[in-house]
Amino acid sequence: MQPQLEQLFDEAEKRYLKPEELQTLNQYVGSLPARIDAYRALRDRELEVMQVVADQLQAALPNESVENIERSIKNALLVLRYCAMGMLLNDEAFAVEKLRGWLTQKIQVFQTQMIDQTLYHLLEQRLDTTMTPQQKSLLSPHLQQAKQILLPMSASV
Amino acid sequence: MQRPLLIITLHPPTPLFKLTAMISVADLLTNNRVPGNYFAADTYVRGDLELGILENRRGDRLIAIPETLIQGIYSGLDKETGQASRLVLFNCGKWWGKTFYTRFREELTDYYGVALAEMPMLELLQSLQQCWLTYGWGKLDLDHSLHSHGFLLIKTWESPFAALAPKNEVPYCFLEAGIFASFFSQLTGRELHCVQTTCESMAADCNRFLLGLSQRLKPAEAMVEQRLDHDAIVQRLCA
Repeated sequence: MQPQLEQLFDEAEKRYLKPEELQTLNQYVGSLPARIDAYRALRDRELEVMQVVADQLQAALPNESVENIERSIKNALLVLRYCAMGMLLNDEAFAVEKLRGWLTQKIQVFQTQMIDQTLYHLLEQRLDTTMTPQQKSLLSPHLQQAKQILLPMSASV
Repeated sequence: MQRPLLIITLHPPTPLFKLTAMISVADLLTNNRVPGNYFAADTYVRGDLELGILENRRGDRLIAIPETLIQGIYSGLDKETGQASRLVLFNCGKWWGKTFYTRFREELTDYYGVALAEMPMLELLQSLQQCWLTYGWGKLDLDHSLHSHGFLLIKTWESPFAALAPKNEVPYCFLEAGIFASFFSQLTGRELHCVQTTCESMAADCNRFLLGLSQRLKPAEAMVEQRLDHDAIVQRLCA
């Protein structure tokens, strides 16, 4: 859950929540149905979205080894699952915390930056057609954050 | 397992026929799982406050040790056994490393569904690094530059065992050296020894551990005693 929200529950014995704090809670709860809706859209179409991306990726990079492309697809599945959970919790740090260090290192070691860059570009395109603008806008910040730590070079361009 | 589909493209420049295996995303998932970072700190360490226990994500029990206990072990051993405390620590590390390897193997095999022997070396190393980090033992890296001479160089940073070591004139992470010796012996199936050549407790930039076959690495122990520095030790060992 959003760290800001978690803090709200930490001081129960000390005082009652202020109106603006209750407002924060209200906002989160109010946004929950939309988040769940976007989460469902991702969950139910995960395979379909990724399969299209995989096909396009292979066509776009015919000289890349299947092994490397498969590794990148697998990583992207994981990234998307973490982003989906982060979106549900409204916690932008969720995916980043899970991926930092570990997946960033993996990408550097296997040097799949080029594949990953194309992959995330295709993935964004695909998500634009499968998700409604509202659903996509809930997911986007999480995906952008993840991309930024995984492919820092491309984010600065 | 489903065989990958083969398609034939009929309009290539050269070669005439190109076979491309199509990727099936569904096949990349095992039981609908995409394994992540098993040792990620936030999911690996859990606690049950009511029962008063700390455990890992499989439910194996963990304990946290206070810094003063490590200091106490160092000073108690030194008082009771003097010089021999180094050997005691090394042997404790060897014992610890042996069970550490067994658990590490079990946990990874369970989670990733691959035998350790079949795991790509890079992923195995990454898991070890993450595990080291999450256990609070600091950062770890392997340096293969001495590979052709039959040695592996292990570097660690932020080691609690070095940070709490008593003032000394020789590197003091005997516990870690013992862990490395038995962990890698188990991993490779050969009897390996480990000697530390630089130590954060002596203001070095990191802790360096040389790993190699016992009879080849033995001379390094005396060189450390003679206060030779890391480069000089490596030079003599590889000469």
